[in-house]
Amino acid sequence: MNKEQQTDNARRVVVTGIGMVTPLGIGKEEFGRGLFSGKTAIAEIKSFDTASFSSHMGAEVTNFNPRDFISVKNIRRMDKTSLITAATARMALEDAGVEVTSENRDRIGIILGTAFGATDVTVQFADTLLTEGPSSVNPILVPNIVMNAPAGHTSIELGFRGVNTTVTHFAVSAETAIAYATAEIRRGTADFILAGGVDILSKFYYESLTKFHALSPQNGGQEICRPFDIDRNGMIAGEGCGIICLESMESAIARGCKPYCEIKGVGMGSSPAKPTEWPKNTDGIKRTLGRALKNAGVTTTDIQTVFAAANGSKVLDAVEAEAYAEIFAGSENKPLITALKGATGESFSGGGIRACALTLSMEKNTLSPVVGLTNPLPPLAFVAGKNKKLEINNAALAGISFGGTYAYLIFGK
Amino acid sequence: MKKRIVITGLGTLNSIANNVADFARVLQEGVCGIGAIDLFDTAGFRSQTGGQIKNFIARDYIPRDFSIKRMSRADMLSFAATLEALTDAGIYPLPEELKEEMGVVIGGGAGGLLEAEIFYGDLLKNNGKNAKFSKLSSLFCSSSADRIASTLGLAGPKSTFMTACSGGATALGYARDLILNGHASIMIAGGVEPMCRTTYAAFNALKSVDPETCRPFDKNRAGLSLGEAAAIMVLEELDAALSRGAKIYGEILGYGVTCDSFHMTAPDEKAFGAVRSMQAALKDSGLSIDDIDYINAHGTATPVNDVTETKAIKEIFGKRAYSIPVSSTKSMHAHTLGAAGALEGIVSVLALQHGFIPPTINYRDSDPQCDLDYVTSGSRKANLRTVLSNSFAFGGNNTTVIFGKYTGKGAVHE
Repeated sequence: MNKEQQTDNARRVVVTGIGMVTPLGIGKEEFGRGLFSGKTAIAEIKSFDTASFSSHMGAEVTNFNPRDFISVKNIRRMDKTSLITAATARMALEDAGVEVTSENRDRIGIILGTAFGATDVTVQFADTLLTEGPSSVNPILVPNIVMNAPAGHTSIELGFRGVNTTVTHFAVSAETAIAYATAEIRRGTADFILAGGVDILSKFYYESLTKFHALSPQNGGQEICRPFDIDRNGMIAGEGCGIICLESMESAIARGCKPYCEIKGVGMGSSPAKPTEWPKNTDGIKRTLGRALKNAGVTTTDIQTVFAAANGSKVLDAVEAEAYAEIFAGSENKPLITALKGATGESFSGGGIRACALTLSMEKNTLSPVVGLTNPLPPLAFVAGKNKKLEINNAALAGISFGGTYAYLIFGK
Repeated sequence: MKKRIVITGLGTLNSIANNVADFARVLQEGVCGIGAIDLFDTAGFRSQTGGQIKNFIARDYIPRDFSIKRMSRADMLSFAATLEALTDAGIYPLPEELKEEMGVVIGGGAGGLLEAEIFYGDLLKNNGKNAKFSKLSSLFCSSSADRIASTLGLAGPKSTFMTACSGGATALGYARDLILNGHASIMIAGGVEPMCRTTYAAFNALKSVDPETCRPFDKNRAGLSLGEAAAIMVLEELDAALSRGAKIYGEILGYGVTCDSFHMTAPDEKAFGAVRSMQAALKDSGLSIDDIDYINAHGTATPVNDVTETKAIKEIFGKRAYSIPVSSTKSMHAHTLGAAGALEGIVSVLALQHGFIPPTINYRDSDPQCDLDYVTSGSRKANLRTVLSNSFAFGGNNTTVIFGKYTGKGAVHE
């Protein structure tokens, strides 16, 4: 290997592990089965009472037992968000075949995205403060209110001490975290970084979403999530955590690990929008996907599939579809578009879960269908109805948020 | 050659100054901004004081061209500081051609919680009849960056860091890298933290606040004083700054981020995390311990932080630790949490530009475990080349940023 190749391999960032706690399944086998089953995890919400709300459906994580993943000593200090994060991180690290030792622990880190953090704990704390006063609040809750608690707990549970950061930017929280982690691996500040996102459903958070009229059924019809469908009527809330383990190609080669795929490039951007509104034109998407392609050194023709951000919202899905129609208009091989949120719901930091889905899809050369899509918006080619076999060399993961924030990641085989 | 990223504009509102010029002056005078607060009722708390921003009327800072409807206090403070920083950088009003590759990275804290608490109080009363959920539209911390970018029409990268008390520092480092990696040409980077009941209650419940005024490194220190601030820097590449004839405050030479992996709210007493954070920043900057002229400490004034940080400094700098001035400006502007790293970044840059070392005030009795030069008898004149600034946080998150004076062509000195 010549020196140029060595430098190149040190800068190439690869995915060598994945972990997930999602409504579709826990761990890559169960999640993979759920993903390629074409079924949805959306159902009536069971963990809290939705009777007084205008929506009642959600995609909840079920059958998650913290004891399967986390030491008893730490479980009692952790809230739901931290528990599923630490469990997911452990799976990703184990999947990558990395054992934390006193030699490598300072070179392993986590960069986590969360849109809303532990809303359950924050509300519980505020409730006591505002009803019973300052002397009644429970100090035990305090460490879990801060948004960096899940990443902090995870580092304690798994014992690694490298770069540790939490980012938030609504629906691009996880994509931003992965973009930052990619840069940190390139910068050489860590050997392994776990990157992804976590968000959970809580009663107050769900109620707030209904009050903002964000959820299906916005038209009073059937409560269902239909990404890119002409008859879509709003999103359905979900929860979960998805984390990928990143390292340099050099490191993967050195330890004889075969990577799943590579993160070839990232693009980030903004366009004006109100904090609670989806962007109304395609400028931000076109600009940001363009930056990501350029950063990755590929063109629109090289992209076989786009893992879209679409969640069944009237505005988001229309703008995203229009943007892809424009971007790929001149491209010879039009990519197949797929969207996961009909199966997993919208968890805002679900970019981590979608990155795991993309990784598995690339490994199996199979794309899962857009669940809930029956009457597609023209003129794009969607994966509809059933799985589609496809040789995927390059794929784009879309992150689009209300407030006008964008992050695109280009994955390569 | 590695690109160099420089600071060309500053903006701040904090408990001792409502603009950068005043801030530079009062830092040298050693003014204390910690006192009674009137943003909410402090009855029943362990502490009744804090570092509240004085006389903040948004319209004094934000022209009527911009709507401030539904902006939280955090949004308004950060937007006001952004306008000051852009004006200072000589790029306000923003030329259209700069917007495409200009982004914003903010270290966040409580976001719109102050306003959300009022909403939540309404929700708990009368079955929530008077509660308007629209009040939550600026609740979350990413709102401040969204307001800045959307209001100014920026098209570059946008991100919000939530690593509690180190978020503002990490934001500066990440923004530098976004420019280095070609993702942006100019970055607005900093932090914002408003005071609110929830944060106040949380730190009081943990008994980490001093009932009086905080006394960093003092033998009888009894905790921190909570404060609020917005602190914004304009960052760009050196060549770009030079070619547009910008004044250059200084340079971000390096940063490091590590984790204690020890305890959620207490620092690792062996100080490993803090040591590695400073080492990582030194390595990133290519500097040695002999190159550091002043350390702007995290210095919260909690019994454990100050001794741990002192230990970490001695671990890295050895004998030289005793000849490097170390001060905690939190003794003046209080602990501004998510904004702290950015605010103390501005302190560092002003110290470089104006040639002074800001003091640690409120200091009375020496602690045998804290035996460094904490600059306790007023500010000092000093021609500084570099400043190392520490920010350590709940969750065991540590960030260190190293700033350097720019002495080449285009530098502006007094």
